[in-house]
Amino acid sequence: MKSVRISLVFVLILALAFVSTSKADNHQSLTIVWAEWDPANYLQELSKDFTAETGIAVDVIQIPWPNFQDKVFTAFVGKSDLYDIVIGDSQWLGRNSQGKNYINLTDWINENIDVASIYGPAMTAFAEYPKGSGTYWALPAEVDAAGYVYRKDLFEDPNEMKAFQEKYGYALAPPKTYDQLRDIAEFFTRPDKDLYGIATWYSKEYDGITMGFQQVMWSFGGAYGDADTHKVAGHINTEDSVKALEFYTDLLQFSPPDAPNYYWAETLGAYNAGKVAMAMNYFAFFPGVLNPESNEISHDKSGFFIAPAGPKGHYISIGGQGMSISSYSKNKDLAKQYMKWFMQKPVQEKWAALGGFTPHKEVLQSDIFKTATPFNEAFAASFPYLRDFWAVPEYAELLEVCQTNWSEAISKIKSAKEALDAIARKHEEIFEDAGYYDE
Amino acid sequence: MLTNHPHQTSRGMSDYQLKMAFIMPTMVLLILMNIFPLLWSLYLSFHRYKASMPAAPRFIGVRNYSRLLADPEIWGYFQTTAYFVVLAVAAQFFIGFGLALLLNRDFRYKGFVTTLLLLPMMLSPVVVGLFWRFILSSDNAGLLNFFLSPFLNSPIGWTTHPKVAMLAVVIVDTWMWSPFMMLIALAGLSAVPKFLYEAADVDRASAWFKFRWITLPLVSPLLLIALLFRTMDAFKMFDIVYVLTREGGPGTATETVSMNLYKLAFRNYNTGKACAMAYILLIIIVALSNIYVKYLNRVKGEEAQET
Amino acid sequence: MRHRKNFVHYLILALIAVAVLVYITPIYWILATSLKTLSDITTKLPKFVFDISLENYQKLMPSEGVPGVTYLFLGEVVVGLLLFGFFSLFNVRLPRALSLRNLGFIWNSFFILTCLYSFLTLPPLRSRLQTDARFNFLLLIVCTIIAYLLIVPWRKTGGLTSQTAKKQRLTLVLPSVFGTIAICVALANGGSKYFYQLLNSIIIGGGSTILAVGLGTLAAYAFSRFDIAGKDDLLFFILSTRMLPPVVVVIPIYLMYSALGLRDTHFGLILLYTTFNVSFAVWLMKGFIDEIPKEYEDAALVDGYSRFQTFLKVILPQSVTGIAATAVFCLITAWNEFAFALVLTEVGGRAVTAPPSITSATGSTGMDWGKIAAGTFVFLLPVAVFTFLMRSHLLRGVTFGAVKK
Repeated sequence: MKSVRISLVFVLILALAFVSTSKADNHQSLTIVWAEWDPANYLQELSKDFTAETGIAVDVIQIPWPNFQDKVFTAFVGKSDLYDIVIGDSQWLGRNSQGKNYINLTDWINENIDVASIYGPAMTAFAEYPKGSGTYWALPAEVDAAGYVYRKDLFEDPNEMKAFQEKYGYALAPPKTYDQLRDIAEFFTRPDKDLYGIATWYSKEYDGITMGFQQVMWSFGGAYGDADTHKVAGHINTEDSVKALEFYTDLLQFSPPDAPNYYWAETLGAYNAGKVAMAMNYFAFFPGVLNPESNEISHDKSGFFIAPAGPKGHYISIGGQGMSISSYSKNKDLAKQYMKWFMQKPVQEKWAALGGFTPHKEVLQSDIFKTATPFNEAFAASFPYLRDFWAVPEYAELLEVCQTNWSEAISKIKSAKEALDAIARKHEEIFEDAGYYDE
Repeated sequence: MLTNHPHQTSRGMSDYQLKMAFIMPTMVLLILMNIFPLLWSLYLSFHRYKASMPAAPRFIGVRNYSRLLADPEIWGYFQTTAYFVVLAVAAQFFIGFGLALLLNRDFRYKGFVTTLLLLPMMLSPVVVGLFWRFILSSDNAGLLNFFLSPFLNSPIGWTTHPKVAMLAVVIVDTWMWSPFMMLIALAGLSAVPKFLYEAADVDRASAWFKFRWITLPLVSPLLLIALLFRTMDAFKMFDIVYVLTREGGPGTATETVSMNLYKLAFRNYNTGKACAMAYILLIIIVALSNIYVKYLNRVKGEEAQET
Repeated sequence: MRHRKNFVHYLILALIAVAVLVYITPIYWILATSLKTLSDITTKLPKFVFDISLENYQKLMPSEGVPGVTYLFLGEVVVGLLLFGFFSLFNVRLPRALSLRNLGFIWNSFFILTCLYSFLTLPPLRSRLQTDARFNFLLLIVCTIIAYLLIVPWRKTGGLTSQTAKKQRLTLVLPSVFGTIAICVALANGGSKYFYQLLNSIIIGGGSTILAVGLGTLAAYAFSRFDIAGKDDLLFFILSTRMLPPVVVVIPIYLMYSALGLRDTHFGLILLYTTFNVSFAVWLMKGFIDEIPKEYEDAALVDGYSRFQTFLKVILPQSVTGIAATAVFCLITAWNEFAFALVLTEVGGRAVTAPPSITSATGSTGMDWGKIAAGTFVFLLPVAVFTFLMRSHLLRGVTFGAVKK
């Protein structure tokens, strides 16, 4: 018995030695990191063609939105070589170009990519930093804007239309202004029937309430600050901004009870569960509305409209991301090969057909794109009104201050005025520390 | 003492070598992974440094500290934390001890019941926080609001109302950690010699008398240790507010120091300032624990004198 | 009088029942949610009667289908448990050629061979993000051999006492324990992200628990039995390392790990969690070893044992209860840790554990509560089973030296 055992152990050791010397096959692969949402699934699907053409495997890693920024930045600071291509928010450009996390793509883009074929504002928003310098750090991958989905069956119900006309004196239709939005939200709020007027972003996570509220603030006449002097006081804490914030807080009473926690997932969930008549979200999230599996109630009864105008203008939060190459990647050439492939017109057409929001100018204006989904038309109509948050390297701190204070304002810990004053004070402190006021 | 055996050197390692070989790995690990990082962060706390930027640390003296100490919002976070620690630890103490008193008897399936009660403690706090979001929801399928609905007109906004949110965090933390208190209290209770109670029964002592003069004195050292560990852990609490109330919301109602520190360090990458804040927190915790351990030793000392 | 006593007794039992109900309801709700379909989850009022569906558990499985060897290992797990149960319940006389000892040996060898077979035949995972999961089969083989030899020492000892029979029965259940892990390996290698992370949790949680308990026991013995200069201060120092909020040390450790390339490695996390737990382990074990009478050791020393042998032969067997209780606490802490895992691992990375990933289950329709619940429940099982098996040690093991005998 003993000799059998010894020989068995011996065989095992031999086998171990044998297999540990035989190496795993070396194949090339590329890792793309993006947020956890449908467009990332489309990109994974699209990339199969790239793998078929070149033999390079592509992994699209998806990070949940609430930690998207934190996880990518901790990877950058840790100089992780895990990610080759980063599809990051437009606001990240300043920080990652100054922090040397993205490689400078200016020369490569000018040589290899037909910049004229890309939708101009997208190139500025997602690729260029500082704006107007002609220095590129990315290629636009997904153009996005905030928009609204509404329940057509409710809006077009004759009884509802009649009741609305009687109560408010004008016809029930997708709202053109924020005043109309409020009226409609009020009209449809019926807690006893578990129906509310509106779902929009109030969450303290990542950029939730800021993306939801900033477009209201701009449209009411407020602004973050002066882009040249970086002065904030007198821009963000004006009478207009206060009014906008009070308006936004006021909308809570026409929202479901958990609305102060709503981010994209909860907003979408509330709409799909048939709880709200209208919901604000980025257009890229709307495939979830049209999917009969996730939205049993209204997948075929949904309409879309662009964010309404305010008393002092019409502005919409920009979304979307550009494709950049991480400085710590060991596959920079593969990454460039992939990006060049991605920007080809046939690939962009397929990207649009899958549901991606192409930055390719011709494809964007083609019928393929406009008819690809029911919301692409409203999405395309939003383009002239897009605006962005600060894109300076300190943007994350600025965003954090906004998130905290606006969250305090809507939960009535602070008044609107106090919150905006606090933001002005803290923002100027951040700019001062960063040396923007040293001349 | 055993250390002076005359014939020890002839056999294997000497006691001194053995002692060193037994203690050193632990000490080296702790120095490498705790003391060294602490010294490093002490160095960084006197510098202006952003780990996300290529610029090297710049010495700025105590500016990080003076800035933090002058900021009223930071003290707000400390107040929030203190509020949480007091509420949560007190609740866990009384509930945990109460459960232990109930369980301290023989009945069928005792081991199984105890394990069932310990289940919450075995879950990951972050998962607990996330799933309680679902249980505390006032929109749909919120279990707690459903059970409370006969007594209330409208659902409670557990995670959305600034005054209630902290209570929600305390409830979740208590659900999770009172079993720990219960376990340790039960360990203490089951070690109390039965003959003491029997002797008291002979004297026809009241239940309260037995509890006050037999149970409590014998269990209190262990209870104090459990309290110490829970207090230290409650001070560090990060996971639950990170997910349950979404980074310390609504507003800043549940933003604990740890939560704020995380943002300072890993969102804003204000590495120098975050290190300074970490040190302020550390000093407070060490001071509190020191007082606590002193008190504990005194209680244990009194015990020793009594017996 | 008798009546009253009975009444009080039943009242207390009723109170206990209520407490169990309150504590278990959320966990029951996790289980229930994991078995519901999406439309049953997002109702206005909680739904208590529903059709059981396994779709949420299927989401955890590899998208390309479950590899065949998974079923093989599942079979081994079940057969191992059945064998163990059979020989524990019935006192069967086996023929000499097929003694319990040989049966255990053959059964374990068979398990090792299936592991080797899986290792050699399974295709590698085609992704460079995750290290080749197949190598864990080799690790399992080594673990099985070590565990087997620990239970049944190599050299033959004594006759068939009940003690050795019990030990030999224990070898029958080894393939069930390691077979469960082998299932995780097979599923992880088949492309399941969830089981890959669960496997990471097993490696990191198990590794750091063994290390922390081991180091803690050694240090606790030294602190308990030897004169050490500044003993109280050293002990307070060890305790004080546990007071550090993770976020305090996480910044420099993050910078340090980044510089050393330890981020997103199993070794880095094992080292870290060991550091966390070792202070707790020292305190718990010191309290326990303090209570083991010194006379036992003296007797052994007089018998000619060296001090180290005394530790192995006298102290260790006496402190099994303390070690078990310590292990439960260390495992729970390391298994569930979140803050460090969040900062020190990459999403989709090599060493990412389950807690940071279970929470990332937002589908195209919002939070996927069903998937979260399924992931949570599977993740809870190993610790719950471990704690249940150790339950008898828990109460006697947690004394911190504060319980007078």
